[in-house]
Amino acid sequence: MSWESWVVETISRALAFGTPLLLATVGEIYAERSGVLNLGVEGMMLMGALTGFAVSMGSGNPWFGILVAGLVGGAFSLIHAFATITLRANQVVSGLALTMLGTGLSGVIGRAYEGFPLWSKLARIDVPVLSKIPVLGPAVFENQSPMTYIAIGVAILGWFVLFKTRIGISIRAVGEDPATADSLGISVSRVRYLCVMVGGVLAGVAGAYWSVAYRTAWSGGMTAGLGWIVIALTIFAFWNPLYGLVGAFFFAAMRVLSFRLQNWLPPELLKAMPYLLAILVLIVVSRGTLQKRMGAPSALALPYTRGED
Amino acid sequence: MNKRFLIAAMLILALIGGAVAAYEPGEDLKVGFIYVGPIGDFGWTYAHNEAREIVEALPFATTVIVESVAEGQEGPVIDDLIAQHDCNVILTTSFGFMDGTLDAALRYPDVFFGHASGFKRAPNMMSFMADFYQVYYLNGLIAGALTETDKVGYVGAFPIPEVKRHMNAWAMGVKAANPDAEVHVKWIYAWFDPGAATEATNALIADGCDVFAFTEDSPTVVQVAAENEMISFGHYGSQMYQFAPDYVVSGQAIDWSKIYVDFLTKIYEGTYTTTNLAHVDYWWLMTQGAVFPEASPGVPINPVYIDALMAYMIDDPVYGTISAYDLHNIRLAQFSDPGVTFDPFQGPIMDRNGNEVVEAGFWLSVDSLITMEWAFENIVGPWPNEPE
Repeated sequence: MSWESWVVETISRALAFGTPLLLATVGEIYAERSGVLNLGVEGMMLMGALTGFAVSMGSGNPWFGILVAGLVGGAFSLIHAFATITLRANQVVSGLALTMLGTGLSGVIGRAYEGFPLWSKLARIDVPVLSKIPVLGPAVFENQSPMTYIAIGVAILGWFVLFKTRIGISIRAVGEDPATADSLGISVSRVRYLCVMVGGVLAGVAGAYWSVAYRTAWSGGMTAGLGWIVIALTIFAFWNPLYGLVGAFFFAAMRVLSFRLQNWLPPELLKAMPYLLAILVLIVVSRGTLQKRMGAPSALALPYTRGED
Repeated sequence: MNKRFLIAAMLILALIGGAVAAYEPGEDLKVGFIYVGPIGDFGWTYAHNEAREIVEALPFATTVIVESVAEGQEGPVIDDLIAQHDCNVILTTSFGFMDGTLDAALRYPDVFFGHASGFKRAPNMMSFMADFYQVYYLNGLIAGALTETDKVGYVGAFPIPEVKRHMNAWAMGVKAANPDAEVHVKWIYAWFDPGAATEATNALIADGCDVFAFTEDSPTVVQVAAENEMISFGHYGSQMYQFAPDYVVSGQAIDWSKIYVDFLTKIYEGTYTTTNLAHVDYWWLMTQGAVFPEASPGVPINPVYIDALMAYMIDDPVYGTISAYDLHNIRLAQFSDPGVTFDPFQGPIMDRNGNEVVEAGFWLSVDSLITMEWAFENIVGPWPNEPE
């Protein structure tokens, strides 16, 4: 087998597997940049996966399914937003509860949809002209889901908004020092609500990709841990959507290679890689001075009350 | 205070436990089923529940179910089924329920117990299993005949003896039909992980495989194969057929009700009592109708592929030149025959490291089958715990 086909196959599959990771990671970066840790990604993705599947099946239109899945993901994330921002509950506990709730709820409601193939799936496309480029064409622009390109666009847009606009400054200010942001007239709770919802919408869309484009079937718990990779990835990406872009496809490539290289490398090692790298990043950023430069939001997971500091 | 309450509660529990009346043949049976997964898994638990519905239709039996019970949590669930629902038969359907079931069997000597896929028994507890290896062999004959690249792929859940046995049986079928074919293996280290199953199948496709079998509780491998216009075998019955009607050629189906009905009828008739189950170990195969090949309901081979199988000629040491279709059906008849006149694990068999694992003239015993770690000679890929 030529090295060329190895490169093409690996990149092509990494893009397909990495798409939901990227979408949900950009969403989680928004939430965490505003100071809210949301461990409910897995639950929101499952709600999105079920919604996307059910609506695509009912309406015959996968794009509509993905859209509604985003709305449901956003609405679902409001539970976490309400608990942690308005009620100032512990973000870790609330996030875990959201994952459990999403897993259970989608499992129960989803029973009626188990065991059905989805005929109205989101088809893969070849990008005209670009797919004719040697190596790069078949690897990146042939037989890919349009959602992959949308995810890349979302990541670039996410980076632009966070780092190049006034809204982004407000978001980062709220995540860094909510008291100062508040005194400057930024509504901390409004910014946080919005960012958690962006996270919910993108996780919902990521879940819908899983059931409507990647796999085209629903089964309870079908994301099987993707949401946890997203949590690790958010750290690995230093809370920056552009690094998230690299990280999502890098992690996905690890996963793809864990199957291709099984003859030579223990698959457990590559499977554990996202978490090992996330721990490594956590060690690095826990060195106080580096923390600022690396982008970890100082107020992450801390509830904000005006006047207390 | 707390301690006294605890002792009182235990006494009451013991009283309830002791209060279960001994079963007299001819009385109605109340059967409690404990499932490890949800009924909607379309795999293992789904198959058990299909069988439970047949039990429910028996004139002398009613059923209660508890699904998605975590392994290790079966003890209190059994207590509840006996105390609250008056069950006099308890059937637990996952390997990890074995010790809890045995403990309960000792606690409730007048209740009948049955445990799937384990090896521990008691005077009132039997063990049972329906195994697919013969069906995998039949599937392998088809796979070997239909591959055009001489490479077939298997996506395995965990490298444990049960999965290895099925892979070996499949690989032996492949070799009987096509001595040149290789069987490529990928492990996903999960019983259910559609993402991993997708990438494992794609990795096998990249290695050149064009026919697929698997152990994973979703139709993912079937779907990925069909997207690439490649053939696959359904796992756990025909419900996977609808995901790719043109590409599912056959598959492994199971009917647990054959065992359940036999066991319950023998209790009802008085053959089995709460003192004579210590040596009752069901190991049911095709001849009892517990397992069978199936593409779609009632159809062993997808008609789309019958012409190709009839045209593919095999050089068989016993039957001479024979079509894959005819050989498949001869083997099917031999497995189904009450005497069982053929077994894939018939010596001499060498593993891929050159060890003789089955001596000439012998068939493997059940004990050797359920502890199998070796890999057959045409298998390519990682094989943890492989004997040197």
